[in-house]
Amino acid sequence: MMDTQLLISGVIFGLSIGSIYFLMAIGLSLCFGLMRIISLDQLLYYSIGAYITYSLSLATGNVWLGVLGGVAVGGITAFAVERLVFRRIYERELTFSMITSFGILIGGIGVIKFFWGVVPRPVPVPTMSQIDIIGTDVPVYRLIVVGVAALVYIGIWLFLNRTIIGKAIRAGIEDVEHVEGLGINVSRLFTITFIIAGALSGLAGGLHAPLIMVDPAMGLEVLAFVFMVVIIGGLGSIKGTLISAFIVGQVVSIGSLIYAPLAMMAPFAIMLLILLIKPTGLYGSTLVKK
Amino acid sequence: MPPHSAANNDDLLTVSGLNVSYGESKVLFDIALSVRPNQIVACVGRNGAGKSTLLKSIAGFLKPTSGSVTSGQTNLVGRKSYDIAKMGIKYVPQDKKVFSDLTVQENLELGSYATQDYNWDRVTDYFPKLKVLMARKAGFLSGGERQMLMIGRALLGSPKVLLIDEPTEGLAPSIVTHLRNVFTELSKNTALVIVEQNLPLVCAISSKVYALKEGRIVAELADPDSIKVDACERYL
Repeated sequence: MMDTQLLISGVIFGLSIGSIYFLMAIGLSLCFGLMRIISLDQLLYYSIGAYITYSLSLATGNVWLGVLGGVAVGGITAFAVERLVFRRIYERELTFSMITSFGILIGGIGVIKFFWGVVPRPVPVPTMSQIDIIGTDVPVYRLIVVGVAALVYIGIWLFLNRTIIGKAIRAGIEDVEHVEGLGINVSRLFTITFIIAGALSGLAGGLHAPLIMVDPAMGLEVLAFVFMVVIIGGLGSIKGTLISAFIVGQVVSIGSLIYAPLAMMAPFAIMLLILLIKPTGLYGSTLVKK
Repeated sequence: MPPHSAANNDDLLTVSGLNVSYGESKVLFDIALSVRPNQIVACVGRNGAGKSTLLKSIAGFLKPTSGSVTSGQTNLVGRKSYDIAKMGIKYVPQDKKVFSDLTVQENLELGSYATQDYNWDRVTDYFPKLKVLMARKAGFLSGGERQMLMIGRALLGSPKVLLIDEPTEGLAPSIVTHLRNVFTELSKNTALVIVEQNLPLVCAISSKVYALKEGRIVAELADPDSIKVDACERYL
């Protein structure tokens, strides 16, 4: 029988890791939904966000400043990649974007190694405080990570449902050609979406950095989990992404408490199970752009 | 040889020598047509004749292999479709595909955002039913309501030319009658190019009819006396 303290710690750990997956998966999901590309380079912006957080926190002593820097550099790098690379390949097959973005990820890891070396780097946790939840000391920082993810979800929801650009993005997820036919510059929507995705991946990296050792291959290490989150949630669905991120987070966390290898295996089993029942994912639309 | 429309200074839209291919397969051959203000121009022909391809090429969704599409002094070939829409040449596709996850109001908001025209009275004057459907998700609309929304959305910004692809396909007769009246009314301010299989409708409202066959214009009926159902059928 698992003791209550261990279980509460596990749940909080699962929520925080789920929050990180959520922040990364939104970008992948939106990019696929709107542009029909598989943007593996989001994992590079995650790594960049973590390294910028490391460098800025080292230079200023303020981790939060580092996280903000990670968000900014993640967004700027995504903007540059969209302009220089993706803009030229939107018309191509899905596999082309997947291979190209994987190339960008691998190349980017090389650049990270060049600037920061291959030795893993530690980032201090911004607050060491703990809070008592039903007799269990829970690190406040992990709760902050969950809170940030919740705020991002609300912000993205408001953006997509209350702003005209957000509505245009939602319409574009259904049919890009029709949006363009109204007189809306779709390539501008693509750029905005890409910047948002890159910035959120940078935020994920920045927030995750104090919980792990920052290393050049950190993006590759979470690749499978982030993909699972997007697939379980349903491509293009923000609500689905949030729910599936928390499912995967809990499965990884609780699974590791029961039997360590489960942390790696169980999410795949959950994904297969959900896809068997609902092939489009939890909230995936059956509407697929031709 | 079919009679070819000569370009005229009064033309809102002129197409000449237009050739379009899908990869290796050539679909349109040397198309020439012209549209003047207040005209309703119909393109008729069998399935696969190239009618929809013609509208998509004018609207910038397909890139012609050669030829020109001009509006006033501006050549539209090579321009992005959103740019052409902003110039007042709007395309209403055949598929009646509204943005189903958005409400009717949000669908119209997108039309307004693109054109900066927030006067929806013109839209609801033509389609009063949309007024009561504003809060409904467009995915729950009937085929006729979707068509009204698509045309209404395209009307924002007071377009010069509306390119409408098979507007009455699959609609109830009462809605077809309503659309017919709307088209006639619309043509007082906007020229219409309509691809349509409903020949009685075409003959009732059109000031010019182009018959397409296997990617070529085989007839141009511009004389009101010549626009008859049996005359159109002869070319199909």
